[in-house]
Amino acid sequence: MGNIKKLNFIVIDDSKLDCFIAEKVITNTGKSGEVRSFVSAEQALETIISAKNTYFPHTIILVDIQMPVMNGFQFIEAFELLGPEVINNYSIFVISSSINENDLKRVDNYVSVKQFLNKPLNSNILGALVDQY
Amino acid sequence: MYIDDEQNNLVGFKATFRFDYNILIAIDTAQAYSHLKSHPDISVILCDQRMPETTGSLFFEEMRERYPDPVRMLITGYSDIESVIDAVNKGHIYRYIKKPWTDADIRSAIEEGNKYYVTTSMLAVKNKELQAAYDELGKFTYSVTHDLRGPLLSVIGAIDLAKTMDELTEIRSLLNMMDDAVKKLDEFIRNTHEYYNLKRGKLIFEKIDFKKMMADASAIFNIAGRMDNVKFIANVSQNEDFISDENSIKIIMNNLFSNAFKFQKKNATDKFVSADISINNGTADIIVKDNGIGIDDSHIEKIFAMFYRATSDEPGSGFGLYNVKDAITRLGGTIKVKSILNEGTTFNVSLPSKVNEP
Repeated sequence: MGNIKKLNFIVIDDSKLDCFIAEKVITNTGKSGEVRSFVSAEQALETIISAKNTYFPHTIILVDIQMPVMNGFQFIEAFELLGPEVINNYSIFVISSSINENDLKRVDNYVSVKQFLNKPLNSNILGALVDQY
Repeated sequence: MYIDDEQNNLVGFKATFRFDYNILIAIDTAQAYSHLKSHPDISVILCDQRMPETTGSLFFEEMRERYPDPVRMLITGYSDIESVIDAVNKGHIYRYIKKPWTDADIRSAIEEGNKYYVTTSMLAVKNKELQAAYDELGKFTYSVTHDLRGPLLSVIGAIDLAKTMDELTEIRSLLNMMDDAVKKLDEFIRNTHEYYNLKRGKLIFEKIDFKKMMADASAIFNIAGRMDNVKFIANVSQNEDFISDENSIKIIMNNLFSNAFKFQKKNATDKFVSADISINNGTADIIVKDNGIGIDDSHIEKIFAMFYRATSDEPGSGFGLYNVKDAITRLGGTIKVKSILNEGTTFNVSLPSKVNEP
């Protein structure tokens, strides 16, 4: 509220098109800072770990669930092990096309996940998200 | 197995029936338990009701908890009728044979009991299969929902976005991405169809002309190859008849080829996909080789698993190699893979020629 700093974003989705859509919708809000997207959750995690000691504004992570190699749940579990000084810099939102009840329930169990968002991402959903910060 | 506390009965029983059945005898329940432990395939148990340490019905009641499968029969005189009725009602015994018995009584009881045992065992196997199929269906539905909805929602999102765009070039690049998403959806549906055909479809064994099959494949893959600068080399040596299911072989080839084309190094200049097929002494050896990105050792074990994808760099359904392996297994063949990261992958498929069926 009244914060001049702009929000950074990390988008993790194995679909390049979904990354592109997310990037566009985020920049269209006009309230975003840096937006980086990753088709691999492993790479995103490495980037987060290597940025451990640098200062940057609060970052929103949008992560898909079903991805090859490392899926969204595995990413969140690995992320939650990184320690509070890293975790507190980020807010995780899950974006998924899943309508599976078990997936939705499982998302609820992760303390670091703020909310489950349905695909496709659009300006209404993202506008509401950005307004929380 | 026959349990009786009188040695003479046991010996007589074994002597009478040993030619027709595998008979185990036990003088007491301890020996009976030891037989049950070492012979899990005992199908029928006959037990005398009156024994010094316990009664047959009590023994059955107790053993049933640990060994529920064998069919239980009590041998008893009229005076024990109350306990027999009780045992039948509680489900401890399948039937009883009254004393004194004749060979024919025992024989018909064993035949009937064994029939019941076999039916029940078969039912258990069928139930297990059914449960496995049901579990697979659950997994299948979950993945299919994702793989069908995923591209669809991408396109909905893209259309939404395109409505806000004024730049024609920007809209065009978005259209290209939507094109890919829709093609992926189509590929998935075709793979699902292949999966179904492989699982439920009938194999039709007929003569396979590999030269013709490869000429058709070359026509398709040469065009695809030219766009991405990948050379397609096919060698076929077939001097004898080879009989198999053409549809299955096409599924195997198409998936291996399209993978080889898909997983190429982006900037390499000498990209190739080769197919060497030789038919000798009723065996077809098919070698599909590429010099693409290769497969990491940590993934190579799992590439044939359903819905497994080792990379997010290229779109895939996680269905292709599963179908390949499934088809090869159904044809009685084998597949081996060798791969070096950043150097390429080689698949070795070996298929036996089948007998021509009408």
